[in-house]
Amino acid sequence: MGMKDTAIVGFAETKIVEKSDRDIWELGADILESLLDSTGFEKQEIDGLILSSSMTGSGNCFWSQTTADQLALEVDFCQTVDIGGCSPTAALARAAIAIDAGLCTTVLCLYADTQAAENNQRPRSFQAEWTVPQGVLGPPTSFGFISSRYDHQFGLDLRALGKLAVAQRDGALLNDLACEKLRKPITVDDYINSRMIADPVRLLDSVMVCDGASGLLVTSKKNAARKGLDKIVVPIGYGERTTYRASESIVDVTDTGHRVAGERAFKQAGLKPSDIASFHPYDDFIIAILLQMEMLGFCKQGEGAAFIREHEFNHLGDLPLNTGGGQISAGQVGLAGGGTNLVEAVRQLFGAGGKRQVKNTKNALVTGIGGIPYARNWSSSVVMILTPNA
Amino acid sequence: MTAINDTLHITREPPKWRTHSKPFWDATREKKLILQYDKEVGKYQFFPRPTSIFTGKRRNLEWREVSGKGEVYSFTVVHRARPPFQGHEPFFIAVVRLKEDVQVMGNMVNCSLEQMKVGLPVKPYWAPLSNGTHLLMFEPDVG
Repeated sequence: MGMKDTAIVGFAETKIVEKSDRDIWELGADILESLLDSTGFEKQEIDGLILSSSMTGSGNCFWSQTTADQLALEVDFCQTVDIGGCSPTAALARAAIAIDAGLCTTVLCLYADTQAAENNQRPRSFQAEWTVPQGVLGPPTSFGFISSRYDHQFGLDLRALGKLAVAQRDGALLNDLACEKLRKPITVDDYINSRMIADPVRLLDSVMVCDGASGLLVTSKKNAARKGLDKIVVPIGYGERTTYRASESIVDVTDTGHRVAGERAFKQAGLKPSDIASFHPYDDFIIAILLQMEMLGFCKQGEGAAFIREHEFNHLGDLPLNTGGGQISAGQVGLAGGGTNLVEAVRQLFGAGGKRQVKNTKNALVTGIGGIPYARNWSSSVVMILTPNA
Repeated sequence: MTAINDTLHITREPPKWRTHSKPFWDATREKKLILQYDKEVGKYQFFPRPTSIFTGKRRNLEWREVSGKGEVYSFTVVHRARPPFQGHEPFFIAVVRLKEDVQVMGNMVNCSLEQMKVGLPVKPYWAPLSNGTHLLMFEPDVG
């Protein structure tokens, strides 16, 4: 399997800020420099560049090319991945494919967005015609009706959801790179009493759009060995699904593409949910975590709240979850926000978690959620399983 | 009874149609709801697409007028909105499952918070737009 011949040799993150006063390419340069420093690679050895989606970059239809030029990377393969919140993890998968196909050897996966400071998005989508005229705010509205439907079918357990919110916030308190505004302790009652955004979605269910960057340096396992890098992280299972149940007019919004993406990733990795050592689910809204627990098979559909009550999710718990705060408590770096979940998983497997280091580093599960379609849940779902030194 | 804004007094820009959605908007001038119907598989689809979501064969699509009656599949009460809705919260956005088995999003008119629930029977409410077309919204179908 080609993907397993890939090695993540380095990870990097900037501080997440409410609004960046620095250019997005300067943040990208920070990531590049940090990765060169931590891995000992020369800039000239990087021959691939894969970017996540970016609201700032969406104003430039030559985004990967221009970014390569700004960073003076001479590459044999470049692209921007445009499946929104899935794009950082999907970029890693595409890096593995490109390396395996022999198109390039060493790829910079760069996840940068300054959506808060510079949103260049001009959507050509269904929204202007079909949802904006009804006052739809976008993701909060969708997660509002996903939550209401979940409540109708299974019941919504606010204390269980609040437990996830508190666990993630506790992670952000231990994460110096998390957005400072969010680094204040919260309780389950704070979660329940936070103001309504799109009933039943509350403020503390929701991400705050922020600015920042993260990235990975990815090469072949062979090249990593040649360079004497024994600390590596390897992708061993991946699943991706876009427009789940696209050929059906009526769908169950509590059933998501993670069901099929997860099956594929677990099968490829030869693992099952109970084998997972730490879990880094894409978290744009708290209920998305619960839905992913159900779809990935940690528990049955409708039993997410019971599963949450039975497990502990901080870095010392039996299922450490988004140990750096996730996006909800570290800040959502625009369309690059999935990099926060992904890089935290890699950091933990490198044993670089510091004050929040998890004990079990046998593997980590990372997911993505991308795009909000009409009257459904989300457009893209990705699932990736990583192991150290596989 | 908890008052929920019916959003009718909010001025909205008429949506820009696409070539494959123009028949839908044209029909709303007469407060008619037409849906794309795939005559090969015998199913409806919404919102209007450039092809059949079932088979990928656009030649099998035709427009059919429907009643617009259905029931609330899910809903949210919006407490935070952007202009021109900002300041007019709270208001409903419902996802309605029509009898023809499609899901349609719309604001709710003549409906209190207490009345709103998943499964509530609804019928169309047509809100006028400045270009002579109408926006499909819903109201409780009380008989």
